[in-house]
Amino acid sequence: MIELRFHEELYDGFAIDEAVKLYEPYAAFTLVREPGGYIVKIEGRPESEGGADEALVAAELANYALGKTIERSRAATPATGEAKAAADDDATKEAA
Amino acid sequence: MSDMQTVLGEGTVQIEFDESFYPKDAIYGAAYVFIDRCYVHLDRAGDKRVRVTLRAKNASTADSKSFAGELENELLGQAWRLSIASENRQLIESITARALGGAAGPPGLDELLAMDIDEATAFDDPLGIAMSWEEKYKKKGGSSEETRAAGSTLGDDDETTRVPPVVPVASPATDETEKAT
Repeated sequence: MIELRFHEELYDGFAIDEAVKLYEPYAAFTLVREPGGYIVKIEGRPESEGGADEALVAAELANYALGKTIERSRAATPATGEAKAAADDDATKEAA
Repeated sequence: MSDMQTVLGEGTVQIEFDESFYPKDAIYGAAYVFIDRCYVHLDRAGDKRVRVTLRAKNASTADSKSFAGELENELLGQAWRLSIASENRQLIESITARALGGAAGPPGLDELLAMDIDEATAFDDPLGIAMSWEEKYKKKGGSSEETRAAGSTLGDDDETTRVPPVVPVASPATDETEKAT
């Protein structure tokens, strides 16, 4: 079993919920709300049941939760959208 | 002193720094840049301190040292962009508002009808543009029939009142003079 801790000041609860829903077919999740943060316990499922590697699911879930948190935070403060757009432009240029 | 701590591992980087130097939005922006190449995790490492952990998705091509440097640069860049955006916010807002106002176009018929226009709120019309033709050219004391008869030829179908257009034609004498010279 893998336990992920997300600090409440850095992660959005709705983003974590969304990430758990997205990865639910690949592993079993238990969500616990603790003072100071959210804890997600991940237990792998056998491949025959459509499960995937526990560590991979945990890492992907954490990334998805962070991405959604950032997107939600940007949507709430549109003025900082320019900075994100500029960063995206830079990343595209570098990739090219 | 920024007191930035970096721990390098095999395909992993842990950077810890003070949040007062890099606002949360800058940390988010920097983390977002790495999200396609790394597994990124944010955590608190004490009061006002944040720890960013990067773990490369493709460990064979990962260079943790370059990831660390890139993240530090990105943090600085994002913080600077945020500062510029907040400084120019008013200007950006005013330009956007003007652009949207211009794009909305002139008011429609319904909007014009809904406008509260009366003697007090109507605009001044010193040239009499808003006046009808009859009102503008009416002779003092004359009837409206007389006014029409004495009026200009505008809209009049009578061919005799029309003045033919003047077309300049060069005279043969002038042409000969030009040839001689």
